[in-house]
Parts: sequence; structure tokens; C-alpha cells
Amino acid sequence: MLRHLPLVLKNAWRNRRRTVLTILSMGVSLMILGLMMAIYHAFYFTNTPPEQDLRLVTRNKVSLALPMPQFYGDRIRQIPGVREVEAEQWFGGVYIDNRPEHLFARLAVEPDKFFTIYPDVNIPDEQKKAFQQERSACIAGRELAQKQHWNLGDRITIEGDIFPVNLEFTLRGIFDAKDAFMNRSLYFNREYLEQSLPQARRGLVGTFTILANSPDNVPRIERAVDSQFQNSPIQTKTETQSAFGLSFLAFLGNVKLILLSVCGAVTFTILLVSANTIAMSVRERVHEVGVLKTLGYTSEAILGIILGEAVAISLVGAMLGLLMAQLMSAVVRAMPTFNDQLETLTIQPSVAVLCLGVAAMIGLASAFVPAYHASRTPIVEALRSTE
Amino acid sequence: MSETVIETRRLSKEYIRDEFHITALQDVDLEVKRGEFVALMGPSGSGKSTLLHLIAAMDVPTSGEIKVLGQDLRKLSDRAIARWRNENVGFVFQSFNLIPVLTALENVELPLKLTPLKKQERIDHAVTALKLVGLGDRLGHYPRQLSGGQEQRVAIARAIVTDPALILADEPTGNLDAASAEDILHLLARLNQEFGKTVVMVTHDPHAARFASVVHHLEKGRLLPMNGNP
Ligand SMILES: Nc1ncnc2c1ncn2[C@@H]1O[C@H](COP(=O)(O)OP(=O)(O)OP(=O)(O)O)[C@@H](O)[C@H]1O
Ligand SMILES: [Mg+2]
Repeated sequence: MLRHLPLVLKNAWRNRRRTVLTILSMGVSLMILGLMMAIYHAFYFTNTPPEQDLRLVTRNKVSLALPMPQFYGDRIRQIPGVREVEAEQWFGGVYIDNRPEHLFARLAVEPDKFFTIYPDVNIPDEQKKAFQQERSACIAGRELAQKQHWNLGDRITIEGDIFPVNLEFTLRGIFDAKDAFMNRSLYFNREYLEQSLPQARRGLVGTFTILANSPDNVPRIERAVDSQFQNSPIQTKTETQSAFGLSFLAFLGNVKLILLSVCGAVTFTILLVSANTIAMSVRERVHEVGVLKTLGYTSEAILGIILGEAVAISLVGAMLGLLMAQLMSAVVRAMPTFNDQLETLTIQPSVAVLCLGVAAMIGLASAFVPAYHASRTPIVEALRSTE
Repeated sequence: MSETVIETRRLSKEYIRDEFHITALQDVDLEVKRGEFVALMGPSGSGKSTLLHLIAAMDVPTSGEIKVLGQDLRKLSDRAIARWRNENVGFVFQSFNLIPVLTALENVELPLKLTPLKKQERIDHAVTALKLVGLGDRLGHYPRQLSGGQEQRVAIARAIVTDPALILADEPTGNLDAASAEDILHLLARLNQEFGKTVVMVTHDPHAARFASVVHHLEKGRLLPMNGNP
């Protein structure tokens, strides 16, 4: 088969405009496919850090925007395998104004539990103590502090929107975390928020972060928490932190399904486009099939030559597409996101191989029927074909 | 006399198109001996090409027997026939039928790609064949860069490169001017005389037929009885 390669390649290059167009449409489709698969891969296959594997997040089953009663925390703590539970609250609000450079997450947390829950947060001891002792203290991730040119002791005012209060903090600590999201967020004492709120709005919690004492217990805790509140007016939904990150992103729908349907649609479309082009170029060459057969080429060899051509074109298109996808993922990396996995988005080798495989399959599938028919045309009939 | 290379008995071919039955060949008894240069003549539609295709096993007869180079063609599988044709038959078309995207050398190399020969051996053979037809200086030319006569010579080189015993040519000079046609006829005659190839050539042209040692006439699918050589 290899010795037919020159003919395969020269055939592929025969109608340059058509081949270039096919390669381009293949390239664009494979770029989308590659990017989608890379995102899918980043979301669902990336190895999460071990601490993240131990952490679970409990939220209101109805919506992330609805709170849960504070006492749920105590109930969760009694579940076997739970090492620590911490209440957290997304504060929202406005820092200075709504410009993008002033957008960052502000979270009310419990300072005495925070560092147990997030052992990978690196902060000097005296700063940690200051955060735990001073009610209006806050701490910020290194990246955020640098971006806002904050120094220890700076006063930071956040205007409330979801909560009807303005909070003024003193920056008491700057930490380093492995987690990129944390590095770009601000944390303050939930107690401080509670006391600023009117009585009616106290005692509510946005999410509980749970630390399991062993990864083996994680699935069980996940189920135990939710069944604990199954018959309560406010039900919960508990998932691992990495899964929670996704559901946060997927407020609007099922990311998995969306990604997969885009991939499916792209594959199907390119299959049709490719099938059409191949059918055209095979039709034009039936006469040559007759000539090759006269020289002693078997139907199988001819089938191989035509399929090889289709696969070659598909693979070149796919490589172009993967190159473009790699560039696009650099663009995604540079964009501001709240999702860690996207920060390191890249076309992994496994995704590249999968894309090339898909492209080869598309080439084969789209060419098979016309190639098979052409290769089976009786010689005399093929030679009479004049198209 | 010498060995028989083509032998047909009551060979018939019928084409069925829709409800029409077209008898392209009927009860043809043909015998060709090794080393002969046979011209097949006859009006258009008399079945000349059909007969040539049956000899080359490019088509199957409706009835009758055909034995070429001692081989009963009806007994071979498709794959075996392809291989047999590659080794034993060189076919020359009226319209040259070179592959336009391949150079002269690559075109001539095509049949050799089906043999176990190594790349360098294939090239050596192809170059030899092209030199034989007088195109040793046109190896890298594409068909569109060649004249009709040159294209037909490349096609002949392609037909002889596997050193087949039998050369079948279907109006090889039909698309050529008189001078080029003359060249091609001389070339075929030389292959016949110097290299001992058996040649069967279809032609309309009585002048071309003079290069042949035997002339057969077909009419309405029947082979006319020979009434002495010209
Ligand atoms: N594949 C086919 N299907 C139907 N009819 C065919 C086919 N091939 C040949 N014929 C018919 O068979 C008859 C003989 O055709 P053939 O091509 O052998 O003639 P020919 O002597 O070579 O003619 P020409 O000099 O025009 O090439 C013609 O009537 C032709 O129409
Ligand atoms: Mg004919």
C-alpha cells in the first residue's frame, strides 16, 4: 500500500482548489471539535489536586442563589467521615465600580475553619492569626493583591448589592494557593457579615464546604448529606468540589451535553461536506479506475488508493484544525474566567490523537460508498465513462 | 507451426441494455500464433474492441471458449485475472489514457508497483522502457507537456514495462497525425520483430494494416473467413 502513496498524494492534490477548500472546512470543524474535546477533557479528566478530592460542597438543591439554614452545618458535622464543615457565603457587591479590573470574588468564610478546609493555602502565621482574631479583617490571594496594588493594612470597601450592607475591611493577609480561583479572590469573616445584617437575614448560609477524612468516604458523605435533608423544606445538593466548579459554570445547562452535542453536530456536518467532495472527485475518475484495472490493479488496491486519498486530505485538515485549536486555547487561557480548568486549557496529546482518529474515520466513512462503487465498476464500463 | 497464444471457439458476447440485446460478437473462432502481428479490421461497431477486451480478460464472454497464453480465462478469479493481465498483457488505448498527475516515468512505473520489484529496480525498468520508445529525455514530463505521439509512446512503454508476451492495441494511431502514427506503427513492428511480442492491433486504416503479418476482418460481430493475406 505504501508504494501507492505517491499516486494517492498526487491524486489528492489534483483539484487544488477543491482540496484546499476541503482541508479548510475540515480544519475549521476539527478546530471546533478539538477545542470542545479539550474543554471536555479539562473539565472531566483533569486530575484534581488531592485536597480537592477530599472536599465536598453542599448547596441548596433548588439553586445556588438560594441559602440554607446555618444549623445544617452542625447536622453535617455529625455524619461519619466528616472532618470539618465550613459555612461560606458569596457576597457579590461592588468594589469601586463595575469595571472588569475591579471584578473579583468576595467570600464570607469562617476563619477558624478556613485553613483546615484549605490546607494548601499558604499564609504567614501572624497574618493567619490576625485574620482569625480581627472581625473586620480580610485576606486576599496574591494575584488579586498584586493586581489591585494592595498592601497589608489597606482599607477595602465593598458595596453590597445582594446584601443591603456596605462592608469595610482591613487587609490583614496575603496568601498563596494552588487554586487559581482562590488566588484571585478575597475572603473575609462571615461573623462580620452576620452582625451587619438585619436580624431577619441572619443565620443563612450560601454553601457548606465539607472536608472528608478520607477519599473513600467522599461518595458516602455525598449521599448521606443529601438524604439527611431529604424531608426538610430546604433540600440540599452535595457534590465534590471539582463537580461543584462545573455546576457553578453550568448554571444555565448541562455542559457535558452541550459539549457533546456540538462535537456530534460538527462531526456530522463535516462528514456530509467531505462525502460530497469525495463523491465528486471519485466520479470524475471512474475512467482512470478502468485504466488502472487494465494495468492489473485489483478492485481492492483501487479501493485502498481512493480511501487513502480521502484519509490523507482529512488528516491534513485535522492537523491544521488542531493547530488552530491550540491557538484558540491560548486565547481562552488569556481570557478572564472563574474556572481553573480553563486557565490551563491546552490540546492534550490524547485529544490530538482522538481528533486525528475522528478525522481519519470521517475520511474513511465519507469515501467508502463512492470508492467502493468506483472500484467495483467493471473495466469496460469504467473505460467508457467519459466524465 | 509455432505455438498458439490466442485461441477462441464460438466466442460470443451479448450486451443487454434495458430490453435491447446487442450481439457484439458472434461465434468467433480466432487463432493467433506466437510472434504474429495481427491487424483486426472492420467497420465501426463490428466488435473489434469487444474482441480485444475479451482477449485481455477485461470483459467476460457470454458464451464460447477463450484460451490466451495457454490459460483458460474463465477459470481464474478476479484477483488472479488482474495479476495475469499485469504479467502477460500490455494494453494500448486509442486515447493514450495516461494518468495526468503522474510524470512519464511514474506512469510507466505504475504496472511495476504490483510486482515485488524494489523502488530502484522499478525505476530502472521504467527508464529502459522509455528509452526503448525514444523518450529517455522526457522522464519527468507530465502528459500535458507531451505531444500526442509522445504520449502514445509513453503508453506503449507502460504496456511493455512488465515484459508481457502479448500486446493489444485498440486503434493506437486513431488520435495521431500521419507522421506520429507512422512512428507508433514502426515501434509496434519493432516490438514484434525484435522482441518477439505477439501484437494484436485494431485499426481502421488499411495503411496501418500493412504492418501486420495477418489481417482479420470483423463484420457485425462475425469474423470473416480469411481470403489470403494482403
Ligand atoms: N458496454 C456496452 N454496453 C452495451 N453495448 C455495447 C457495450 N460495448 C459495446 N457495445 C456494443 O457492441 C457493439 C460492438 O462494439 P465495439 O466497441 O466492439 O465495436 P468496434 O468495432 O470497436 O467499434 P469502433 O470502431 O467504433 O470502436 C456495438 O454495437 C456497441 O454499441
Ligand atoms: Mg472500438
